[in-house]
Amino acid sequence: MTQGLSAGEILGIIRLTLFISGLSTLIAFLLALPAAFLLYFRHFPGRKIVISLINTGMGLPPVVVGLFVALFLWRSGPLGSLKLMYTPAAMVIAQIILAWPIIVGLSLAAFQQVNPELILQARALGASRYQLALTLAREARLGEISGIIAAFGAVISEVGAVMMVGGNIKGQTRVLTTAILQETRLGNFHLALVLALILLAISLAINLILTSWQQKGWRTWPRPSWK
Amino acid sequence: MASPELEIKNLRHYYHKKKILDIPYFQVSQGECLVIIGPNGAGKSTLLRIASLLEKPAEGEIFFKGNKVTAQNELVFRRRLVYLLDRPFFFRGKVKDNLLYGLKIRGISKKEQAQRLEEISELFHLQRLLESEPQELSAGEKQRVNLARALIIKPDLILLDEPFSSLDLNLKNEIMADFQAIRKKRAQTTVLVTHNREEAFYLAERLAILMAGEIKQTGSPEEILALPRSMDIASLLGHETLVEGSVVGQQNGLLQVAAGSNFIYAFGSAEKGEMVKVVFRPEEVILARERPQTSIRNWFYGPVVEVKPLDRVVLVSLDCGFRLKAYLSKPALEELKVEPGKSFWAGVKASSLSARASPSKKLEKYSGENLERSKNDSL
Repeated sequence: MTQGLSAGEILGIIRLTLFISGLSTLIAFLLALPAAFLLYFRHFPGRKIVISLINTGMGLPPVVVGLFVALFLWRSGPLGSLKLMYTPAAMVIAQIILAWPIIVGLSLAAFQQVNPELILQARALGASRYQLALTLAREARLGEISGIIAAFGAVISEVGAVMMVGGNIKGQTRVLTTAILQETRLGNFHLALVLALILLAISLAINLILTSWQQKGWRTWPRPSWK
Repeated sequence: MASPELEIKNLRHYYHKKKILDIPYFQVSQGECLVIIGPNGAGKSTLLRIASLLEKPAEGEIFFKGNKVTAQNELVFRRRLVYLLDRPFFFRGKVKDNLLYGLKIRGISKKEQAQRLEEISELFHLQRLLESEPQELSAGEKQRVNLARALIIKPDLILLDEPFSSLDLNLKNEIMADFQAIRKKRAQTTVLVTHNREEAFYLAERLAILMAGEIKQTGSPEEILALPRSMDIASLLGHETLVEGSVVGQQNGLLQVAAGSNFIYAFGSAEKGEMVKVVFRPEEVILARERPQTSIRNWFYGPVVEVKPLDRVVLVSLDCGFRLKAYLSKPALEELKVEPGKSFWAGVKASSLSARASPSKKLEKYSGENLERSKNDSL
């Protein structure tokens, strides 16, 4: 039975937490952009239904996602032969599924906020389809970063999915949230509190970086104003 | 006849099953400034978007320099033209970034970018503004940046949707003059859409009248103004008199313009030998049987060719070497005994006239092309 954690072990947990949540947010972002472009540029039947599903996905319960991923990765499941259950890879997969709809939904909304006439002007200045997508992404930067912030916040703070598919194995799949859960159950409230503060501090630090990227160059107009 | 830069054949276009464009043939010749004028809702902007390869016509074919535009080569041709929307829309970033947008996406080298940026900012007086953000600019500056970011690309064809309509009169004149100068210098093929008559008269080498989705008449502004094909066209264009001539001298701040056998005095800044256009409204003209002793500088003499009663006034057309139009009240008409065949003097105050640089460079070239055009233009 664990009686507290060494500093080295805590560092390992922090590193794994950042790695899993960071990687899953990054991959989710890379997978979300093409989907958001598709939903922006193409008008296919059922588009509204797809968007509704994605918007619903923005609030998926992590335990439910964990359950589905577990069903697939279970030894006897369709992907059981990959032996991914209870590995960081399984945790990344589950978190990608959580993060992806958030980034798609918020990016699409951000794209649609960009003036369509500006996008037409970009085409009229000679932009190819890819350059147009790039221009759109640049113009919608603020909303897209909001999506990344929301997605990262959701995955770093969730416990259901990582617990279910990671298993909270010490030194292998234990992350901050599952560690907090464990220590609380064991009555180590001091340690749980320290881990909770570390989690919050990490969240804050990451968001400071993302936010300063998001808010770069922002000024109200006109300036100076009366208030 | 100059080779066609752009041709549109058998164009039909619909919105919600309603036909909004029906144009059997339409062409833009190399180097010309074609102005499409029409009332709101005539389909001007749609035609321009189709000609810019941004919108696919429901029916019809488009040829760019003789090559048929297809889904495969659309981007190649689209990159050789630029279309500007009726209002300036800017990207995030500085004025400089906006000016360079078209060059960057065309993969033009950094060195060339810098060179063209310098050139265009000088032509449009933008040097001070390069580091500003677009929202900090005034309306006139925004339109300058907008035109500059199109012309920096050096496109084969530039298509402009109401480029000057949001500007006040002084700014409009100033920016129109700058644009005209660059257009002439580069022999820039231009299609411009407007609902403003004066803009159309001054800028057009060739005018196309678009009404209810159809091109009703094409020709030089002089031709169409003199002989509008229908009452609709006449009322769209108004009854202005348009004279083109070359500047032969300056006298006390007034330009002396030679047009055929007439001299016209008008305000304006132009150099000797330059072609200018002078437009005046029919209500600015007075008619007299004998040339009176007055302060009026401009007197033209010629026979009445048409007397047409309008709602409140009578439109009298005189052949003074150009078609001169004047409004008279009915009593004045009777008093002067105006009727076709009789000759009269027509006077216009020089102070109500302004001469502006015309789109054509030389008279010989202009009239020669025009003759050919009117022969070939059987729209």
